[in-house]
Amino acid sequence: MPRRKLTRRQILHAPLIIPATALGLNGATPPSDRVTLGGLGIGSRGTSVLRSFLIQKDVQFLAICDVRNSQREAIKSMADKTYGNSDCAMYSDQEELWARKDIDSVLIATGDRWHTLLATMTAKHGKDVYCEKPCSMTIAESRYLADTFQRLGRIYQAGTQRRNGTNFNNAFNLARSGKLGKITTLHAEVGPGDRWPPITTHAWMPAEEEPAKQVVDWDRWLGPAPWRPYNSAYIQGKWRGYYDFHGGGILEWGSHTVDLCHWAGGLDETAPIEFEPIGMNQDTPYTINCKYANGLKLVMRDKGFLGLGSCAFRIEGDQGWVETADSGAVATSDNLKSEILSVPREEASLSTTYHVRDFLDCVKTRKQPKSNALAAAQAHIACHAAYIAFQLGRKLTFDPARDLFLNDDQANRMRSRAMRAPWRLA
Amino acid sequence: MNFRQITLNIARAAAFALLAAAPLLTPAPLLAQGQKAPAMSDPKYGDAAAIRALPAAKLNALLADPQATPYAKAKACVRLSVIGDASSVAAIAPLLEDDKLSVYARTALEQIPGDAATQALIAALPKLSGNNLVGAINSLGVRHDPKAVDALSKLVNAHNPETAKAASLALALIRRPL
Repeated sequence: MPRRKLTRRQILHAPLIIPATALGLNGATPPSDRVTLGGLGIGSRGTSVLRSFLIQKDVQFLAICDVRNSQREAIKSMADKTYGNSDCAMYSDQEELWARKDIDSVLIATGDRWHTLLATMTAKHGKDVYCEKPCSMTIAESRYLADTFQRLGRIYQAGTQRRNGTNFNNAFNLARSGKLGKITTLHAEVGPGDRWPPITTHAWMPAEEEPAKQVVDWDRWLGPAPWRPYNSAYIQGKWRGYYDFHGGGILEWGSHTVDLCHWAGGLDETAPIEFEPIGMNQDTPYTINCKYANGLKLVMRDKGFLGLGSCAFRIEGDQGWVETADSGAVATSDNLKSEILSVPREEASLSTTYHVRDFLDCVKTRKQPKSNALAAAQAHIACHAAYIAFQLGRKLTFDPARDLFLNDDQANRMRSRAMRAPWRLA
Repeated sequence: MNFRQITLNIARAAAFALLAAAPLLTPAPLLAQGQKAPAMSDPKYGDAAAIRALPAAKLNALLADPQATPYAKAKACVRLSVIGDASSVAAIAPLLEDDKLSVYARTALEQIPGDAATQALIAALPKLSGNNLVGAINSLGVRHDPKAVDALSKLVNAHNPETAKAASLALALIRRPL
C-alpha cells in the first residue's frame, strides 16, 4: 500500500499535543523556568541538601556522579522516586556529568579535599555551583575560588546556609538597625574543641585491601589529596580530622560562624590583619583574637556562649549586643529585651531550604547569592589563617590584600599545599 | 503573591513535612572523648607525631634511610615543607620518581625557598613521565620562579598533550604577577 505523503501545510494544521507540564499548567513549572541539576559526591549531608532541592518545584535533578556505587544507587533511587520515573543518570567520572549540556547547575558535596577543584572545574564547564562547606583546604584555594567565579561570571553559593536562617537574619537586622550602636566586636563559636579538635592529625589508618574500582574508585576518591593506603573508614565519612582531607575544627565551624561575623560586620571583601591564639592546650578552652584594619575585633572561641545551640555567634556594639545559634533562640542585652527575635527550632531548621531557594533565584536573575564565592573565600581565609596561627602558637600579622603573612616565612609556607597530579589550580 | 513567594511557601510546607518525618541532622563529633583511631607507625621512627618532632637534619637523614617506610618519608616531607631549607633538597628530590610519594616530595619542594628546590624540579623533568612529570611541572608553576621558563618552554610542544598543557599553564602562572 502506498504511503500517503504529509505536506508541510498538513503538518502545520495538525492538532498539536503538548503536555501540560511543558506549558506550566496544573501548577507545574515550564521547562524554560526550570533549573536542571546534577550532583557530585552526595553523602549524608549532601542527601539532606538534595532534599531541599527536590522539594523545589522548579528544579529537575538529572544525574548523580559519585565514586561510590552504593551512593550512586541511593541517590538515583531518591530522585527517581521523587519524579516517578527512572531517568536519573549515574556516573563515576565527573567529566561525564560536565559533558551533559542539559545540566545548568551542580550540587557538590564531596569531601573538602575536592571542593575548590570541582567547583572551579564545574564553572569552567559553564555551570553554576552550590557547594558544601568547608569550601577550600587552604588560603591559596580560597583565593583561586573567588577569582575563578568572578572571572567566569558563574553563580556560586557556599553551603553556609545560616546566612538565610531566620533567627540569624533577625540578629543581623537588629545590628543593621543601629540599635546596638557602633559594632565593636564579633564572636564566632568554632568548637567545642573537645568534640571538634582544632588540630588535625597526620596519621594514616592501617592499610586495607582496595575494593574493585567499580565499587569504590579510591584513586578518584583521593583526587588532589596526597596518596595514602586505602581504609574503608575514610569512605564511611571518617576522613574528617585528617590533615590531608580536612582543615580542622576552626574551619569546620568557622566556615559558618566566622562567615556570619563577616556578613554582620560588612567584612565580605577582607580578612583580619592580626591573629592571636590564646590557650594552646587542646583540653582547655581556646580563643583566637583577631583584628581588622578598621579596628573591628573578631573572637573565635570554642566555648563560653549562652548555650543557645551549635554555631553560636554574637554581635556586640557600644549600646548593646545580640546572640543567636541553631536553637532559634535570640538573646540580647537588657536594653533590647523588648525585641521579639527568637524563632521556633523548626523555623530555624529551614535555613538550608531558604539557602537553596536563594541559590535558585540567583541562577535565574544572575544576582550574587548571600554566600557567594568572594564572601565564602574571605571567611575561609580568616579561618585558615587562624588555624595556621594556632598550629604555630604565635601571633601573626596578615596582609589581606596580598593574602600574605608579614615577617613569618613558616606561616606563609602553610598557605598552600601540593595537589596530586594531574590535578592543579589552573 | 509573586512567583518567589509561592515557591517559597511550597518549599516551606514541604520542608516542614520532611522535618516531621526525619530527625534533625546533628553533625557527629570527630571522635568521642578519649577515643583514638587506629594509626600506622614506622618500626624505626614511630608515629606521625614522633616523626614531626624531629629537626630538619634528622628528617633529611630519614629520607636517605633505606629502612624508612613510605609512611615515614611522607611525614618527613610534609614537615620539611615548613622547616626545610636547601640542605633538605637532595634528600627529597629522588622521591619525585616515586609514584606514591611524588606528591609528598612536591609538597616540600613547592615551599622550600631558594634556587635549590627549583633546580631539583628542573633537573628531574627528563627523568619523569606521566603524572610524576605533570606534577613536577605543576610545582614549578606554583613556585613562580622565572628560572624554570626555559625548561618549561621546551615542554610546551611535548608529544603528550597532558605534559604540554601542564607546561603552558605553568608558564602562565610564572608570567602572572604574584
